[in-house]
Parts: sequence; C-alpha cells; structure tokens
Amino acid sequence: MWVPVLVGGTAAGVLSGIPWVNCLCCLWILGGSALAVQIYAKDRSAPTSPGDGAVIGAFAGVVAAAVNTMMNVVFQSANLAFLRRVIERLSANMDNFPPEWQDWINREPGPISIAQLVISLAFSAAVFAALGALGGVLGAALFGKRPAGGHPPGPVPPLPGPPESS
Amino acid sequence: MSGTRTTARRRLTRLYALTLAGTLVWLGAIILAPVLRDAGPGVSAVFYACFAPVCHQDPDRSFALLGRPLAVCARCFGIYAGFLGGMILYSFRRGFETVRLPRTRNFVCLSIPIGLDAAANVLGLWNTPNLPRFFLGFAWGAILPFYFLTALGELSLGGLAIPAAKK
Repeated sequence: MWVPVLVGGTAAGVLSGIPWVNCLCCLWILGGSALAVQIYAKDRSAPTSPGDGAVIGAFAGVVAAAVNTMMNVVFQSANLAFLRRVIERLSANMDNFPPEWQDWINREPGPISIAQLVISLAFSAAVFAALGALGGVLGAALFGKRPAGGHPPGPVPPLPGPPESS
Repeated sequence: MSGTRTTARRRLTRLYALTLAGTLVWLGAIILAPVLRDAGPGVSAVFYACFAPVCHQDPDRSFALLGRPLAVCARCFGIYAGFLGGMILYSFRRGFETVRLPRTRNFVCLSIPIGLDAAANVLGLWNTPNLPRFFLGFAWGAILPFYFLTALGELSLGGLAIPAAKK
C-alpha cells in the first residue's frame, strides 16, 4: 500500500506546490489520491472497496501535505511574487484597501520559522487528508475492480426489515 | 438483529452529523474571512491563510462580501456549497439504513461540464464569469457526499455482522 501512497501523494504535493500550476486548487489532491488507488488496485485481483480507497487516499493526502510544505519553502519567493500581484490587483479593485496590506506588499519576506512550518504542515495534513480520502473513494469507484455481476465493490447490504407477522 | 440494526443506524447518523458539522464549519470560515476584517487584520488573515493551500484565492474570480473577497474562489465556493446541498439531498435519497456508491455515469456526467470549463479557462479559450463557475462547482460538489459518506459508512459498519434477512 505504501508505494502507491507515496507515488500519488508525491505527485499531488509537487503539482499543488508549483506556482501557477497550483491554480487548479484541490484538484491535484483528489487526482493524486485517485492515482494512488489506481496503482494499488492494478495488481490486486480483489476489488478495492470505497473504504479502502478512503484510507489510501487519506494517507496520500498526508504525504501530499508534507511534499507541498517543502515545495512552498523552495518556491517561497515565486509564491510571494504571485501573491503580491494578486493583492495589487485587489487593491486596484477595492475602495477601502487596508493600509497594512499595502505595507505587506512593500516589505521583504523573511525566512519561514520552524513554528510556521509545523503549523502549516499540521493544518495542510488535516485538510489534504480529508480531500485525499474523497479522492481515494472516487478512485476506488472509478478504478476499483468490479466483482462478477458488474456491481460496485463493497456495498453494505441493506439492513433486514422487521420480521413479517404470521 | 434489531440491536445490530439500531447500532448501524446510530453509527451512520453520527457520521452524517459529524460530516455535516464539518461542512458547516468549513463554509462558515469561508464566509467569515471577509466579515472578520473589522475584528482585526490578523484574525482575517488567519482565515484566508487556512484556505491558501486549496485555492488560488484570486479576488477577480471570487465573490465579494462587504467589499472583500471570500476566502476561496467562486468555483471552489460552489463545490463546497454543493457538498452541503448534497449532504441534505443524501439524507432524503439514501437515509441511514444503508450505504451505496452512486452510478459512475452520474459522476461522469456531472464532471464533464466543470472539467471542460476549467480546461477552457486554463487554456485561455474563454473566461467564465463567477456565477456560472459557482453553479458548475455546485453541481459537481453535490455528488461528492454520496462517495464520502459511503466510504465512511463502510469503514464504520465493517465490523458489524449484519444477519441475513429471514425468508
């Protein structure tokens, strides 16, 4: 399981950390998790259930968060430049642009502290794990092998109804 | 049998409630980001920063509240709002007796419009206004709870031995 998790999570983390490419937002996390499930299911004869997909996807999301955090450190300058352009466009469209945001545009970025990294990683891991679980379920639904009969794998049978009165 | 039935329904209901609460908190934070600007720029900035990993937050592509952009773009806001709509729909369509994946063709049909629109915008073929972006995202987001809750339900009910129905 860990190889697909690492492959899918790394792909998602890298793509969601590259400036401009990351404009597709959470799609990379969903896609990377679905990829992890697809790789996992490829070599298995048994169908991949939605629950399995969610677990694999969640782990892939955590890996993506770690990779994304490292990418943010590497691309800090490029990301800040992009963000400055966004805020400058915002200032042109807003009547009451906060002066402190104008100060932020003009100041030079400092190094990222360890505390900022840890907090960012922790929050990203939680969010990406949830998105990854969803992507993993989608991957299981799309790529998980179907059992004979063509029905999706792993449906829980309906609960039995009340016994019929004689 | 009735004990198992009750336990399963209770677990599914609890999962649904937790997911619904999380969705409301998520959407609330998106809306609170511009509202809390008056409480102090630091407070508002934290809310915007929370959504930075999952959205480009381009103000030109975001709805505005009180003259300030929401914490995510219109498409993302539509997806999350659609997720909430799907959660409400789920309670009527599925209930809390069973979990089942939706048909793949439904997912594909709802994914094609948003996929085409996103690709066309990235390639520069056209520039979709925010309202259509929101509705395309809403339509796609509405089917996602049917996958998410199915997986959680399956994981939660896996340990229960559901007895076969009496003939």
